[in-house]
Amino acid sequence: MHDNISMIQILLLAFYGAFAIYDGLNTGVGFKGSAITGLFAGLIMGDVKTGLMIGGTLQLMSLGIGSYGGASVPDYNTATIISTAFAVMNHAGLETAIGLAIPISLLCVNFDVLARFANTFLQHKAEAFAEKKDFKKVELMNLLGIVPWSLSRFLPIFISLSLGSNFVSAALNAAPDWLMGGLKVAGGVLPALGIAILLKYLPVKTHFAFVLIGFCLTAYGKVPMIGVSLIALAIGLIIVRMMDMIKENRPVVAVADNNGLIGADEDE
Amino acid sequence: MNNSIQKKDIRKTWSRNLFFSTTGWNYEKMMGLGYCYTMLPFMRKIYKDQDQLKERVKSQLQFFNCNAMMSNFIIGANMAIEEKGGFESAETISALKTGLMGPLAGVGDTIFGVTWGTVFYSIAAYMALQGSPIGCIIAIIAGVIKMFFGYGFINIGYREGAKLVDTVSGKIQKVTEVATMAGLTVIGALIPTVVGAKTAFTFTQGDIQIALQADVLDKIMPAILPVCIVAATYWMLGKKSLNSTRVIFILLLLSVILYNLHILG
Repeated sequence: MHDNISMIQILLLAFYGAFAIYDGLNTGVGFKGSAITGLFAGLIMGDVKTGLMIGGTLQLMSLGIGSYGGASVPDYNTATIISTAFAVMNHAGLETAIGLAIPISLLCVNFDVLARFANTFLQHKAEAFAEKKDFKKVELMNLLGIVPWSLSRFLPIFISLSLGSNFVSAALNAAPDWLMGGLKVAGGVLPALGIAILLKYLPVKTHFAFVLIGFCLTAYGKVPMIGVSLIALAIGLIIVRMMDMIKENRPVVAVADNNGLIGADEDE
Repeated sequence: MNNSIQKKDIRKTWSRNLFFSTTGWNYEKMMGLGYCYTMLPFMRKIYKDQDQLKERVKSQLQFFNCNAMMSNFIIGANMAIEEKGGFESAETISALKTGLMGPLAGVGDTIFGVTWGTVFYSIAAYMALQGSPIGCIIAIIAGVIKMFFGYGFINIGYREGAKLVDTVSGKIQKVTEVATMAGLTVIGALIPTVVGAKTAFTFTQGDIQIALQADVLDKIMPAILPVCIVAATYWMLGKKSLNSTRVIFILLLLSVILYNLHILG
């Protein structure tokens, strides 16, 4: 009944989702990033290119949408896994996969909230164990927190993929053009939200010039992202160096000679 | 008292924070459970008296929320202060935790959340869209290296102890400044490349057809529509009644409407 996907693949994808949220919360290596998730989901499904395309697209849509201070945000990571699997199974195009991913990522927010709720119970247990001086159990409660977190990603992936592709293709076939076309447009528009969140987060009013520089580099200069990052770093280092100079009451011109820019800001 | 803290104790505490700082995250005390878990081996070493240990464990279970990477500073300072002051230092430590977690979280989210994520993940995404996994691999390698930054931080915290507040503010301010400038430059660069919006609208006047996108907007400025959409979204986020999830729904709705009016597409 599961055309083109084996139970092992479903389990691997579901475990990857659980591992990704663990990494996102704790070690922070980056397995929760949609592009990286797309790479691994693609590997599991035997179609790396599709995984990278879907992951890359969703990554750009979700840049800036990070969970700060424990807010639940749309789960583009779980959506990447599910829609990559469906895209490979159904030979669906990129646009269909993205159209599928947006509602999935919004639905999955609820699982995130549930996990955070479930762990409140563990906190209470830990406090009770502390009272009884059973400190090993206090430690265990923190470790058990992994279970709700993992389930919050494992279950949506496992269930939706187990339902099989017929379910999703039926849903997709039923979706009218006005909706799918609209979702396609939304795929282009939604990254604006991530960018706007980032702009809200950083002091854009005092540092607006940098936004302009970045914009011009790509809009007019077509500079690739690595190049933009390096230019940005260079400008940042120059400015910090200049601020140091001003603080030390030395003329800024002195930047030009001796010992270069990067090595110079070690210590004063 | 035979409770001197050695390198291996610091390493153990660091690795506990690295691997399990947020596993117990909950709405009530947030990272409180994780913080207590991180400190337990250290506290067992310091407090041989079970009643004292109990009080300290209960206290460390209280509310705590920070950027997990930056927590290392607080944890290190906590170890130094508690090693010297013992049970008497309980209040100092609570004050240190509550006083530093907010500012450090802000800095950590700027550096390791916003800037780190924007730079590495946008590179990963671009290379992914060209069918190459190299950007992803670069991001993973950078992420693995990042894990070890925390070990430096916990040692700085331990070395500085109670003086941490003064030490950190000066140095971190500089790093934050660079991260902010770099972050904003990359964000500016993302607008024309990441946001995709083109109008399909065409004026027809007799024989003359003017395509709004190619003949008008593109001549004014490249990516003018993405800029407008970002500006409008930024404005929406400033409204008290709108959070990011609501803005997503608004953008979805607008996309569907504008597509069906043949304005965007």
